[in-house]
Amino acid sequence: MTRVVVRYLPILILALAWEAASRLGLFSSLTLPALGDVAASWLELIRDGDLVSNGLTSMYRGTAGLVLAVVIGGGLGVAMASSRVVNALLAAPIEVFYPLPKSALIPVTVLWLGFGDGSKILLIFLGCMIPVTIGAYNGARGSDQVLLWSARSMGASRLRTLWDVVVPSALPEMLNGIRTALALSFILLVSSELIAAQQGFGYLIGYLGDNGSYPGMFAVVLTVAFLGFAADRLFQLLTGWLLRWRE
Amino acid sequence: MARVEDLAKPAVPAGAGAGDRERGRALNAAARFATRAFSLVVLLIAWELIARSGKVTPFMLPPLSAVIERIYADAASGMLWTNLGVTLARAMAGFFIATVGGIALGAAMSRLRPVRWFFDPLISIGFPMPKIAFLPIIMLWLGVYDVSKISMVVFDAIFPVLTATLAGLAAVDKELIWSARNMGAREHELIWQVALPAALPQIFTGLQVALPIALIVEIVVEMALGGYGLGAAMMSASRFADSRGVFAGIVEIAIVGYALIKAMAAIRRRLLLWHHEAQAPA
Amino acid sequence: MNDQAQIVVEGVTHTYRPPRGRPVPALAEVSLEVRRREFFALLGPSGCGKSTLLYLIGGFFATEAGRILVDGEPVAAPGADRGIVFQHFALFPWKTVRANVRYGLERLKIPRAEREARAQAMIDLVGLRGFEDSYPSQLSGGMKQRTAIARTLAFDPSILLMDEPFGALDAQTRALMQTELLGIWQRTPKTVIFVTHDVQEAVYLADRVAVMSARPGRIKTIVETRFGNRDPSLLRSPAFVEKVEEIWNLVRIEAIKAQGTEAP
Repeated sequence: MTRVVVRYLPILILALAWEAASRLGLFSSLTLPALGDVAASWLELIRDGDLVSNGLTSMYRGTAGLVLAVVIGGGLGVAMASSRVVNALLAAPIEVFYPLPKSALIPVTVLWLGFGDGSKILLIFLGCMIPVTIGAYNGARGSDQVLLWSARSMGASRLRTLWDVVVPSALPEMLNGIRTALALSFILLVSSELIAAQQGFGYLIGYLGDNGSYPGMFAVVLTVAFLGFAADRLFQLLTGWLLRWRE
Repeated sequence: MARVEDLAKPAVPAGAGAGDRERGRALNAAARFATRAFSLVVLLIAWELIARSGKVTPFMLPPLSAVIERIYADAASGMLWTNLGVTLARAMAGFFIATVGGIALGAAMSRLRPVRWFFDPLISIGFPMPKIAFLPIIMLWLGVYDVSKISMVVFDAIFPVLTATLAGLAAVDKELIWSARNMGAREHELIWQVALPAALPQIFTGLQVALPIALIVEIVVEMALGGYGLGAAMMSASRFADSRGVFAGIVEIAIVGYALIKAMAAIRRRLLLWHHEAQAPA
Repeated sequence: MNDQAQIVVEGVTHTYRPPRGRPVPALAEVSLEVRRREFFALLGPSGCGKSTLLYLIGGFFATEAGRILVDGEPVAAPGADRGIVFQHFALFPWKTVRANVRYGLERLKIPRAEREARAQAMIDLVGLRGFEDSYPSQLSGGMKQRTAIARTLAFDPSILLMDEPFGALDAQTRALMQTELLGIWQRTPKTVIFVTHDVQEAVYLADRVAVMSARPGRIKTIVETRFGNRDPSLLRSPAFVEKVEEIWNLVRIEAIKAQGTEAP
């Protein structure tokens, strides 16, 4: 327990330094609102419902886009590894879109679907699909031949081996791809909401900033940053449990 | 990505001679390049055909030919070069600062315990955070012009450089350091002449991750803040429902992104000639 | 065709075609017969195609020329009548020992209660009681191979195909496993085709040993190696030693040839 405290102590020190600096008047209260004020604004935003309603919108968009990316991307990756035809069809688009900075898709999704949920979900789906597909593809390709043969000799049909052998074999690498996609989904979500939205965390941050409500703005920024961090940590826990069979 | 292996073939030791293998490898590299180029061409043709087929409106998917015309027009008018120059300049500036800062901080962290203790949780928490969320704060502190844009790029790009430097330095063979010490090398000589070169492959990998990040962040920041730049131009086109402009932007950015990745790979090969990974078969 | 022959291989030729590089002839006109409940060894130097032949019998890929019949029917695909055990165990790393052993029974749609009972019986048979809920990564090499054997025996195939099953184990474990395998085989008699490059192992375990030539593999000769009793003291008996010597002389030339054609 003390280990954890010592490890994260610098954060506590920074927080204290922050509070001290604003109390001492080192920075104008505009550029750096006191930590206490930020905390108060945070509570207010919760009470008013603004934080929660915008938060739910963002969470909905992010989750929908990510789930689509994982299910479709994962399926495609496994299909590509198992079928020459699918591979031939999809390898080209993936190789072409892999080096494209995914945020370059923001203007086009806004062009097609405007400022609402649809454009964000589409953006996250398109952007996050590629790391998942590549992870699933590489993982599925690495399926051990003898595992497939063992399963078949025990009566599994070719289709059955896909589910019984290929998917579990692909899981470690696919989970890696999903971890990347998770971080990417946050980035794309916040970016697109900062730039072109009428609801959501990013929009709320911009709105508060434009209104000069800086303590509130800081509060939401920190909330989003924390959520991104927490999501990654939770995902690591999930991965650890799913892959508990590894050495 | 190679062709899918035929899952029915068993693994058997190679019977072909060494010369055959060499020839085989070179042929393979050529074949892979040809397939990639071919698939790109197929994709472009598909784009043009689908756009002209009438199944989608020219607004949703402008034909490739129209987009190319537009890029050409932008190039001729000079707009393309201005935007490209501005985006690249800021992205590269941020990238270089992140490189220097990341390596310096990484070196400091690996040698000095207190520095390491202080920054470790910040990195651990900072890595998975969507750092773009801090853009409004940076705008508040640093304005809306180049400084704030470059700062955002640095903030994002420094993380992969840092972690790669830390990992690379940690993995340096202790015996190398001990031999150098034994021969009288002092602290700063150890870092410059032994540790950093030994860690270079891993550090460079971090740089290869950081560069695309620098480009992405620069583009997003331009979209948010406006002004000049490829990202800003694309977002402005989107606001004016100028779909050709938007698609032209995607193509331009894709080319830039691809060129940067290739350039880094070439630099890596040149820089790491001495490393054993250069000896390994392709 | 001998009435007792369960497996018939006739004139099988096979070429290995790697994804890149030249095709390599693996087997040339191989013919043999394996009798019901016989312990039959395929012995030869590396690369002679003995594993390839085993996989062809297993139905994992198709013969190019010649044919393979099991119980009078041509082999078309893998099936639960021919269980296979691999050198590197091929256990599903994400399943526990029990789940691995159960797998074949699940595929055969055997009802739950019977499945659990049979799986447990097999686990007990190979001496792994108490490890049912362990993952393969927690087991030693010998334990992993016993799990693999239990898994294959669980669905009671009439033929057991074994591809150098003890090759990845240390010498001591290997010796113990050989005796255990014989014990299991004597209790639940099956037709066994056992691939190995170890002459002593082949002579000790098998009723007949087929010596294969270097690549492309042919059956050089088939030697009777049935001994009265098979406890470990057999290994020191003069008759046994003589037989090993005899077969080693047949293999040695092929092993040298195999070294010569090996890629540098």
